[in-house]
Amino acid sequence: MSFLYVHGGLTPAQWITLLPILILSATIVFVTGAIAIKRHHWWNATISVAGLNLALLPLFVHFWLPQLWTLPLPQTVTPLLGIDGYACFYMAMILVTALATATLSHAYMEGYNGNREEVYLLLLLSTLGGLVVVCSRHFASFFIGLELLSVPLYGMAGYLVKERRSLEAGTKYLVLSAVASAFILFGMALIYSQMGTLAFAEIGAHIGVIGGSERSVIVLGSAMILVGIGFKLSLSPFHLWTPDVYEGAPAPVTSYLATASKTAVFALLVRYFVEARAYQMPSLVNVLSALAILSIIFGNVLALRQDNLKRLLAYSSIAHFGYLLVAVIASGPLAVEAVGVYLLTYVVTTLAAFGVVTLMSSPYNDHDAEDIFDYRGLFWRRPYLTAILTVALLSLAGVPLTAGFIGKFYVITAGADKHLWLLLAAVVLGSAVGLFYYLRTMIQLYLRQRWVQKYSAPLNWAQGTGGAMVVLLMLAMLLLGIFPTPFIALVQAAGLL
Amino acid sequence: MLNLLFVVFLSPLLGFIVLSLGRGRISQNLATVIGVGSIGVSALVTLGAGIQLLSHMPADGAYTQVLWQWMEVGSFTPRFALRLDGLSLTMCGVITGVGFLIHLFASWYMRGDEGFTRFFSYMNLFVASMLFLVLGDNLLFLYFGWEGVGLCSYLLIGFWYQDPANGSAARKAFIVTRIGDTFMAIGLFLLFRELGTLDISQAMATAPGHFEVGGNTVTAIAFLLLGGAVGKSAQLPLQTWLPDAMAGPTPVSALIHAATMVTAGVYLIARTRVLFELAPLALHWVGIIGAVTLLIAGFTALVQTDIKRILAYSTMSQIGYMFLALGAGAWQAAIFHLMTHAFFKALLFLSAGAVILACHHEQDIFKMGGLRKKLPLPFWSFIVGGGALCAVPYLTAGFYSKDEILWQAYAGGHLNLFLAGLFGAFLTSIYTFRLIFTVFFGKEHSAANSGHGLAYTLPLIVLLALSTFIGGQIHLPLALVLPAGPGEGGGADETKIALLSGSVAVIGIALAALLFLGERKFVKWLKNSTLGAPLAAFFGAAFGFDWLYDKLFVQPFLWLVRVNKSDYLDRAIMAGAGSLQSLNGVLTKTQTGRIRWYAASVALGAVLVIAVAVLS
Repeated sequence: MSFLYVHGGLTPAQWITLLPILILSATIVFVTGAIAIKRHHWWNATISVAGLNLALLPLFVHFWLPQLWTLPLPQTVTPLLGIDGYACFYMAMILVTALATATLSHAYMEGYNGNREEVYLLLLLSTLGGLVVVCSRHFASFFIGLELLSVPLYGMAGYLVKERRSLEAGTKYLVLSAVASAFILFGMALIYSQMGTLAFAEIGAHIGVIGGSERSVIVLGSAMILVGIGFKLSLSPFHLWTPDVYEGAPAPVTSYLATASKTAVFALLVRYFVEARAYQMPSLVNVLSALAILSIIFGNVLALRQDNLKRLLAYSSIAHFGYLLVAVIASGPLAVEAVGVYLLTYVVTTLAAFGVVTLMSSPYNDHDAEDIFDYRGLFWRRPYLTAILTVALLSLAGVPLTAGFIGKFYVITAGADKHLWLLLAAVVLGSAVGLFYYLRTMIQLYLRQRWVQKYSAPLNWAQGTGGAMVVLLMLAMLLLGIFPTPFIALVQAAGLL
Repeated sequence: MLNLLFVVFLSPLLGFIVLSLGRGRISQNLATVIGVGSIGVSALVTLGAGIQLLSHMPADGAYTQVLWQWMEVGSFTPRFALRLDGLSLTMCGVITGVGFLIHLFASWYMRGDEGFTRFFSYMNLFVASMLFLVLGDNLLFLYFGWEGVGLCSYLLIGFWYQDPANGSAARKAFIVTRIGDTFMAIGLFLLFRELGTLDISQAMATAPGHFEVGGNTVTAIAFLLLGGAVGKSAQLPLQTWLPDAMAGPTPVSALIHAATMVTAGVYLIARTRVLFELAPLALHWVGIIGAVTLLIAGFTALVQTDIKRILAYSTMSQIGYMFLALGAGAWQAAIFHLMTHAFFKALLFLSAGAVILACHHEQDIFKMGGLRKKLPLPFWSFIVGGGALCAVPYLTAGFYSKDEILWQAYAGGHLNLFLAGLFGAFLTSIYTFRLIFTVFFGKEHSAANSGHGLAYTLPLIVLLALSTFIGGQIHLPLALVLPAGPGEGGGADETKIALLSGSVAVIGIALAALLFLGERKFVKWLKNSTLGAPLAAFFGAAFGFDWLYDKLFVQPFLWLVRVNKSDYLDRAIMAGAGSLQSLNGVLTKTQTGRIRWYAASVALGAVLVIAVAVLS
């Protein structure tokens, strides 16, 4: 039915709901032009940030000032994009993440003596991909969005081209990501061969009536898509690239990779499961369960004795997405809510943690401040920055009164609701192991250190935009932990179509 | 003003935060302004809120202010709300009013101390926690405040941490009260399992329908809560920590270990009154514990020589009276005595602090003497405060509350409790005036210089006024919260009981004058007689509880510790950790950094995923 819109052109309401995507696209054009006219780090960063803010504005007004104006939701814009509350919520989250990354990049790139400006261009392109992914309800837009999200990331990961490890990270991600994309494409082709359609909703409508060998092919195709998604989300056993890329990529890029790109893909996974009714294929749910348990085990065990903070956070993100899968497996409205809340808390926390790493690092040094021994005694040098990292680590561990607790509580509630005891046991044991390595890192921050350190954030770290962003993130972590009700209401309001 | 209720506990909390962050950077004057001022703000808001509550009393007798709901997941909706009714208003009045005066006095007492700012930050945190305890509408928040005050008590007893003795006194207080807290926590768990809520008003409303009177579960819950109360209020058998807690600065003893925290147990029992009424056995034991504690503490106080320890034992015995009153069903009288006790005991402790500072940190009463001329204000404070402690008839605040307790016990037919209380009053008079006669009369032993300044005189004068009959005239708005006692409205014998208890107090004082004024020949003879000497030693050791607990608990525990020296128990746990570590070693080998292997792993993983998908 929705094909009709293509011929009639877009209605004004559809144009309005597309505003974030349109504004962001315009910003990309604008920044490209600005760089071509004159290379100026501050100007180009500011234009990017302004564009991101403008793109965020309609979403902000929609969610926080609904009495003023709301977006005319939901809208189906061509068969490719469906913009509903759910998509808007994740678009807002990705834009905020991109904003945080842009400000952190500005703090970080100041010390880089190559071309600094293109990183914003790549960031904006990737963000656009993220927006498309969370709106997509069709395999075509899914794939285009995913590639638009990933391809600039290769460039961002390898941005410090003179650094061997940065280049290595970019190359590894490029090659392996291509493998994953191939799996996704092949899976889509298999499904299309049986269904004759690429739209999620139409797949979902027919999935119940298909049986026999046709159904097996669809299961096979879906499994192959899950392989690709599992790679993007770095779920075990597709996680091996994660620590290497996290370690090699510049710190702000890592924070983006860990948050925005995974959020977008995860939001898509949930939408696919709900709209294409993948829950009706129990074998796929079994696959997710296996991936969840493996991710929790691998992520936590590998992080156990890790001395490199960026790698440690990489492993911890593997475990966190394992926890998140438990909510997806639980299914139902509470599951969608749980995923939203968990992703929100995870994104805020991870950004704060990588934000501190970014402020501590500079491309002047041959690598980022990533060894946890670089952080030994940080409290005695930069007490407030240490407080932020401490809160972030506590939140990652899920300690009450921080954001992480709320997310984990939701996941466990969703799981307990559906009696997923085996998975919940994995979550609980994984969290216990997790506490060990988060606390192990935290202890280093407070040890007395007598000799001078190579790595330290500049004394005026809090005065730049990056510093302000990190302080805001810490406040958000505490606010989410202590007074989460408004955020929960936001997630509840942003349901699927 | 009622809608500003949250300011009452927020103001000291902010004071705590500012003082802790500014430690070492703000002057003592500024710290005084913040530390004392924050309590002053609380006191003013309490006053305003109280006036408004009393002038427009809601039908259910309580004003509830919902501050926020933590989250809402399914049916789990923990919210944080404050509840102000007659009982919590009384407690808030005592905490902020007396607390303000003690803070003011402390700004004089602690001046020049190295940890001045730290002191006030802990004190503010204490007041915030205590207010949290009495204002929270939920037993969970009550418990939170309960632990908060325990922590502050620990921090302040060990305030002068360079002396290891203070540290060990602080640990003792912490550990002993923690035993009670554990009982209380179990009681709360049980209550939650039974009623499904910890909201106080809701739980108290549903409890009578859920439990039958004298049922096993409700009795167990009441006894477990009583365990928490005796720990916090230093009653038998968890009373041993209070005398050692006197290691803290004297304003701390006045605020925490006399006026507020130690009475939290009384508050808890009054708050959960419904449960205790459903468990008559537990309520009976509340009275017995109170009676026995007040007698033991009274005997012990007779032979102590440290001015603060005498006061500590008197606190213990006065809280014994409050427990006795609760046990006798005289709920309002217990809270009334809680308030008057806060007035006169704070006065006694503060003036004891003044005496101690004047005598250059001397605490042995036999090294003092004849101080009445040099320290007129502390002297009169001791006369009035001591008089109130002994319940000198009609002139002092203590008389009105203690007489009420004795009358209610008598009227309710609790003759044993009544007699114990009467005999305790007699002991109280003797030991109190033994202290006063020794310190302020007789020969001068040491040089003393009096304090001065508003921060010194104002708290003493205000508390002195409140300890006289003026304090006894305060009418508490408890009618809607707590039921009337058995002897409410008076009875034929009320005047007789008043005269009896009054004359017991006066006789005790006269006896003390006979024994301790002048040469004390009789006392000396008694002390050296064959019967008197061991008895004095027994009383002096507080009936040997410390010795007994050392043999019963501490030594066996240390023995266990020695047995388990090489951590046999931990090894079992470490085995799990060790296997995880070796697993870590194995899995780390998969991170080769080689892209060939990574690509292969994706392929292997794909085989796995497809196998699970197709085969399951």
